[in-house]
Amino acid sequence: MQTRKYLVGLCALVLIILAACAPAPTATPVPPMATPVPPTVAPTQAPTTAPTTAPTVAPTATVVPPTATSVPAAFPLTLTDDAGRSVTLQAAPKRVVSLAPSNTEAVYALGKGDLLVGVTEYCDYPPEAKQKPKIGGYTKIDLEKVVGLTPDLVLATNIHVKTIVPELEKRGLTVFAIEPQSVSEVIAKLATFGKLLDANDQASKLTAQLKSRMDAVTSKVATAKTKPRVFYEIDKTLYTAGPGSFIDDLLVKAGANNIASDAKSQYPQLSPEVVIAKDPEVILLGDMNYGETPEQVKARPGWANITAVKTNRVIPITDENLIARPGPRIIDGLELIARAVYPELFK
Amino acid sequence: MIESSNVGAHDRASPVPELHRHRGTALLVVGASIVLLGAIAATFGSVAIPLETLLQIVTSKMPGASVIVTWSPSWETILFTIRLPRIALAALVGGALATSGATYQGLLRNPLADPYLIGISSGAALGATLAIIFDVNLWGGLPLCAFIGALGATFAIYALAQTGGRATPTTLILAGVALGAFLSAISSFLMFKGDSAFRTHQVIAWIMGSLSLSNWDQVIVLLPYLGLGWLVLYLHARYLNVLQLGERQAQQLGVPVARVTLTLVVATSLVTAAAVAVSGLIGFVGLVIPHIVRLVWGSDHRFLLPMSALVGALFLIIADAIARTVLSPSELPVGIITAFCGAPFFLYLLRRKREVLG
Repeated sequence: MQTRKYLVGLCALVLIILAACAPAPTATPVPPMATPVPPTVAPTQAPTTAPTTAPTVAPTATVVPPTATSVPAAFPLTLTDDAGRSVTLQAAPKRVVSLAPSNTEAVYALGKGDLLVGVTEYCDYPPEAKQKPKIGGYTKIDLEKVVGLTPDLVLATNIHVKTIVPELEKRGLTVFAIEPQSVSEVIAKLATFGKLLDANDQASKLTAQLKSRMDAVTSKVATAKTKPRVFYEIDKTLYTAGPGSFIDDLLVKAGANNIASDAKSQYPQLSPEVVIAKDPEVILLGDMNYGETPEQVKARPGWANITAVKTNRVIPITDENLIARPGPRIIDGLELIARAVYPELFK
Repeated sequence: MIESSNVGAHDRASPVPELHRHRGTALLVVGASIVLLGAIAATFGSVAIPLETLLQIVTSKMPGASVIVTWSPSWETILFTIRLPRIALAALVGGALATSGATYQGLLRNPLADPYLIGISSGAALGATLAIIFDVNLWGGLPLCAFIGALGATFAIYALAQTGGRATPTTLILAGVALGAFLSAISSFLMFKGDSAFRTHQVIAWIMGSLSLSNWDQVIVLLPYLGLGWLVLYLHARYLNVLQLGERQAQQLGVPVARVTLTLVVATSLVTAAAVAVSGLIGFVGLVIPHIVRLVWGSDHRFLLPMSALVGALFLIIADAIARTVLSPSELPVGIITAFCGAPFFLYLLRRKREVLG
């Protein structure tokens, strides 16, 4: 009985975390007890919640300098956001608050970092972002703080739409939700950022750059005769990325054969015997920053016979934010995975 | 429920008295089912290993056996390093939880008692939360922290519940609820304050209970606790029978109530804490299995305790086999299966036997 109370309490806690500080009267759509992992708690779906300690070693997205020839976009501007809401901007925004690291990175990549007046505690890239005033965590957003910053545009994600967005709109703020569902969409959404921030030229340049880098990867891996079987480890209890997830999209684009491609959910937990039976040729350790090492993987019972372990291809993901954040550095993440899967092609 | 199903009442009312007379046979049958179902459970999984091949693999490991290897070496790895330890652990944990539940229900004379009632769940959860949030990897890490948390909480509750040199069922339950709420508040605070959703998720996953990362080491660590605990509990089973008459009666009949209570709390806590340390908080087994055994075979604790252990083992083997196959290749927390399958079956029994229970 006490256990059950405890579980109910935890579910309530999860709901509270989801609801952030917004006392939203609308029920958050997380059925207590029904799902083992409330989707928003799964590490990769909350891409921003993992502060990274590892230095960024991968090449960084190029920041396109604003061009002098920029033609002013047509304001007032009406666009439909990724939550299906129609949003109108009366004029080009001058004070922008970002509720997600991916949004912050996109704003900076378009050379509009100066417009940001508030970011989340997890917004650590580019390093300048850390100097901006903080409006709370990704899911725990301080409503008063945001309102107090008097932004003329708040860049949210779909996770915020049922929680804090109604509260922000009640107080007269303009909120736009951006939630790319795939690598291609990350690139495509840059055009939307460009329109919103009056940075169309920068957006089209960056889009072209990222597209050509993505195409370079996909055409290179297309030359491979066989696709290596890959296991992407989100945590040591063997949560991984299944079909429909962002990481699966990256793996497919990087020419990997995801061993969880037949899973029935986006973030399934695999039994160790599934991993052994599928015998991955490469294991990507997305939990490196939580202390998992290739040595620990090798020591797991029964894992010594896995091809990836035998051939020393248990590869730590040094900066999981490149993979977990649907921002402009996603192509860095794609290149990181492609290099790990096809070291001979990316010498 | 307990009051009306004490030893004397049951003999008159049980519709299956023949089972009563053949307790030894019943224990043997259930014991054999554990072996059989364990073997069948070992054939299920990501790779289906036919029962025949499974027997061949096991035989090939016997000294002096000559079996032609017709299977992939990964099958051996899967069978010996993952599936068999997992099934063994499911059996031990199921047995531990069901025995502890039966003991607490008898000792506290409360049908709602389960192994987690006196501090185990909140103490173990706090230990696990601390271990996860502060990345404790020393000295056994999470399992040890959970074990210490569970025992610490239980003994604190026992100490707090003592009035006039002894703890009564009522004070134990109330102190348990109060301290449990307090410790849960600390866990919740730590999880809420901690900014990593990843770690919060790990805590939640641990609390829901899982056998997915079982290995032989855990089985070996568990055995001495369970062996000792079960022995102590079984030796006190007759006292539990007398305690059903009420504490004063039991005292008059020569039962050293205070000492028995303390011994049983210590033994039960050891058994449960050890199980929880390796598997997390798997619910429902400890609450429902003793009731099922009592409904079918009566409430003589000398039989109830060992039979609960066996039925609990059987039940958790089946539940865990379902948990790892129903959504294959994904895992399901086994606690969902134990409640989902156990509750309807229990309700069915309850309705069938309502007349008996009165």
